[in-house]
Order: sequence, then C-alpha cells, then structure tokens
Amino acid sequence: MVPAAMRGDDPIPAKAGIGLRFQHHQAVLECPPDIAFMEVHTENYMGGGAAIRCLEAVRHNYPVSLHGVGLSLGSAEGLDPVHLQRIKQVAERIEPALMSEHIAWSVSGGTYLADLLPLPMTEEALDIVCRHVDQMQNTLRRIILVENPSTYMQFRHSTIPEWEFMAAVAARTGCGILCDINNIFVSANNHGWDASTYVAALPIEAIGEIHLAGHSVCQLADGGNLRIDDHGSCVADDVWSLYADALRRFGPIPTLIEWDNNIPPLEVLLAQACHADTLIGRENELRHAVAA
Amino acid sequence: MPSLLEFQSAMRAELLDDSNPAITATLTAALTPVDRVSIYRNTSRIALTNALRLNYPAVQRLVGEDFFAAAADMFIAKEPPRTAWLDAYGIGFPEFLEGFSPAASLRYLPDVARLERAVSRALHAVDSKTVTPAELARIPQSSAGSICFTPHPSVSLIASDYPVDAIWRAVLAGDDAAIAAIDLGTGPISLLIERQAGSIEVTRIVEQRRRFAEALFAGRPLAAALELAGNPQAPAWLAAHLAAGHFISFAMTEAPRAPSSVVEHRQ
Repeated sequence: MVPAAMRGDDPIPAKAGIGLRFQHHQAVLECPPDIAFMEVHTENYMGGGAAIRCLEAVRHNYPVSLHGVGLSLGSAEGLDPVHLQRIKQVAERIEPALMSEHIAWSVSGGTYLADLLPLPMTEEALDIVCRHVDQMQNTLRRIILVENPSTYMQFRHSTIPEWEFMAAVAARTGCGILCDINNIFVSANNHGWDASTYVAALPIEAIGEIHLAGHSVCQLADGGNLRIDDHGSCVADDVWSLYADALRRFGPIPTLIEWDNNIPPLEVLLAQACHADTLIGRENELRHAVAA
Repeated sequence: MPSLLEFQSAMRAELLDDSNPAITATLTAALTPVDRVSIYRNTSRIALTNALRLNYPAVQRLVGEDFFAAAADMFIAKEPPRTAWLDAYGIGFPEFLEGFSPAASLRYLPDVARLERAVSRALHAVDSKTVTPAELARIPQSSAGSICFTPHPSVSLIASDYPVDAIWRAVLAGDDAAIAAIDLGTGPISLLIERQAGSIEVTRIVEQRRRFAEALFAGRPLAAALELAGNPQAPAWLAAHLAAGHFISFAMTEAPRAPSSVVEHRQ
C-alpha cells in the first residue's frame, strides 16, 4: 500500500473525488457535496487574494490534492526553482493530502509552452525525470505522485516502453504513481499498445491515485482514429471497463473525475464520481467475499 | 539520436514558429508527423490565448474575439510566457497593443489594457502583512520625513488621457448605453487600483494625490513625497494608504535628503 506519509495528516480515503474548477467554487462552499476529496491545479492558486482564500475554505471541508501542470519534470535544462517554490508556498497554505505532477515536459529555453508535451522514452530522459522527482520530493519534504501521460506521437529513438518508464521512476525515486486510466486508454489506442498490458505492468504498491476523464475521437482519412485527451465529456464506457480491471489489480484507490473543457453543472461531475464509488464498492465486496 | 536538450529546443521552435523538419523527422509515421505536432501546437496556443483573455477581458470585448485571437497570436510569438504561473502572463501586452497598428484607431485601448494589467496584478499578487499606523507611531516626529515605504504588490496607479475606468466598467458590464455615453474628451484621469477584502477596487484620485502615491510607492522618503504633493491634504492621503494596507514595510533613509535633489534623481 501507499505509505501513510504520502497522504499527509488527513489522508484521502479510497473513494471518488472531483476536480474543482472556478465555476464550481461558490456551489461547493455554499452547499458542500458529499464527496471524498477535491483536486485542483496548483498553478491556479499561486499568488494571493481570493482564489487561494477560497481553496483554504474548501480545504476546511475536504482533503485536497494539489495536481501540478507546469513544473516540467522532463525538462533537460532543469527545474525552475522559482516555480518549485511557488508550489511549496501553495502546499504550506493548503496542507494537501496528495501532491502530483506529470511525466511530461513543458519548458524549454526558459519558455513555458503551456501543454504537457511527450518525452522520448530514453535512458537519458529517465535519468532527468528521476533527478527532478528527487528534487521536487526533497524540496517539498514529501512523496509525490507522477502521472502517466496521454500522447499523440512516439519517437524513433525511444527505447523504453512507457509502462516500464513509469515503474522505473517509482522504483528509483520512491515516488508513487497517479494512474490515469483515460490516458492509458487514449495512448494505447493512438499507438497500438495493449491497455491491459500497461495496467498489468504497473507496480501495485506504488499506485496512490487514479484519474478518470472524457476524451474525444478524431476520425482519420485512412479509416483509423486518433483519441484526444480533452477532458471535455463523460468518461467513456471502455474507460470505465478498464478502470474496473485496474481496481481488480490495484485494489480500491482514491479516484478523481477530471473535467476541464465544456465544464458541466456540478451534478454531472458528482454523478460520474458516484459511478466510480459504485465500482470501488463492488471491488471492496469482491475482496471481502474472497477473504471470507 | 538527439539529446533531450536538443530535442526539446527543436520542438519548442516547432510549437512557437512554423514547421521545423528536425522534430518531425524523429517521429514514427503512422499519422502525418506534422499533424501530430499541430495537436500540441493548437493546445498550447489555445491555453495561452485563454490566459490572455482572462487577464484582458475588456480588451477582448472592445476588439472582438477574432481580432483579439489574431493579436494574441502575434503577442505569444513575440513574448511567450517564462513561467507556468499564467495568471501573471501578458505583462507586456499593453505595450504590444500600443505598437499594434491594426488597433491604432482605438487610441484608448493600450490604457484599458494597462488598467486590466493592474487589476490582474491586484487579483493575484501574493498576500503580505501590512504596516499599521501603530508601527509608524513609534517613529519620532523629527525623523518621520526620512521614512521610505515598500508598497503592497497588489496596489498600483495609472494615469490616462482617457476615461478608461468608465470604458472598462461599461464594457465588462455589457452596458451599451453607458458605452455610448462615454466622452473621450473629458481630460486626463488618475486611478488607484487595489485589492480590499478579496475584491478589486478602482478609484479615481486627483493628480496631486497620484503623484504623492507614486513617490511613496517608488520608495522615495516621505518628506520628498510631501514636497512633491504640495497639498495640505497629503497627510490625510498617507493615513488613508496606511489604513488600506498599501505598505508592507518601511525603512529609514540614512540622512534626510533635500527634496530638490531627490526630485532630480527621480527614475
């Protein structure tokens, strides 16, 4: 299981949470929904003023997970120490139960490219990512989770399957894995991988959180398709199936519903979270039945 | 095989500029490599344009969505962000608009953008403890003139030849009648932009008060700021700044300098 220290003083239970976006701040403060935890993008709460104060109020009611999107763990030129300090300042105010970042890069030549860009899966990239995970964990004085990416391209000079890369980062740095089931489904479709093989290759003891989100399908001229991880719709049926398989392997794990584009009413997010809770409940029953 | 540093420089060039064969040559070819890169370029461009839109909503409404997107494209190519804290992105956008000839007919547009930059700064500046009147009361009256303040990062001042506060309010409220009633020829204005209890306040102040505040916010000694203001109300303005929490610290200059020499050294 995930070490208790990873989850801080107020651990997140193995239940469903939702990604909190600005549109829903008022609603969750006025009438706090019955949900296990809230996750936000760390970058949206940097600086001072009303936003972080609102998050502090949310934190009063729920465990919070801080999910970073801009540190660029995969940048060859090194981490921006100022950005890492900003992340630390948010963490000091919010006391999050979980903190995470991505296996991706978004900074080059000191420019922030505003997307989670794909890394060549090489020994060099693995060394760089591990060095930066160490740096992030040492600065924050806590274990972080790293999320598997969704990608639309592969590189000829890649030598390591992505699932082995993820497992190696966890083994070498002691970090946990944020297993994004939708990303596995999207990337497996886009690159012809087997999603089940991917899930089966991840180390069970490192899985600290699961992400679920919607994606869109782009039809290609040759009859194939490309799946785009746009977080703008409900979780796809095939992704729910893969999620149930993942729970069979990993056991019940805190699970987040993410939605970033065409953000729906809060009730829609909560209904998706409720479905995740149902599947977690089923997995719990199966395990108890086996144990009895 | 490119090193990771080389690969990332090539991809950055491709995302920010146009086609760069160095990167597409390293891709597997199941789908057009150029198409694959363009997915990332589009996502990046949309994220940055949205960040500018959030920081400059009135500018966007004044010029329209398409015009704004075109201006944003050029600005992003010229000044891409240096950090992932996008709330702070677009500091140079008002100056960019000033030199953007398609917008030259909207003479007030750069100043509306300056106001929005100040509002964005007020919204997102880090929280900080502020100097209280009680702390200042401990300074002997004889040396009060050499007090230099550090302003709170959320507070700023703007001078404009146009009623940009009225334009900004009317445009954001979508109040067509108010927009139609705006007279661009009403003369110069001075604005104080600040964050109070989490909300943003934009207040018109008289020019002398702005000059006084500018001197204080620039860290000039109090005596020099009072001299510059040349107004008997200046002590009351100082009290208002303190009450509003506009200063986060203060220090004493080594020796009070003559106001005239300080004026000469103004930045």
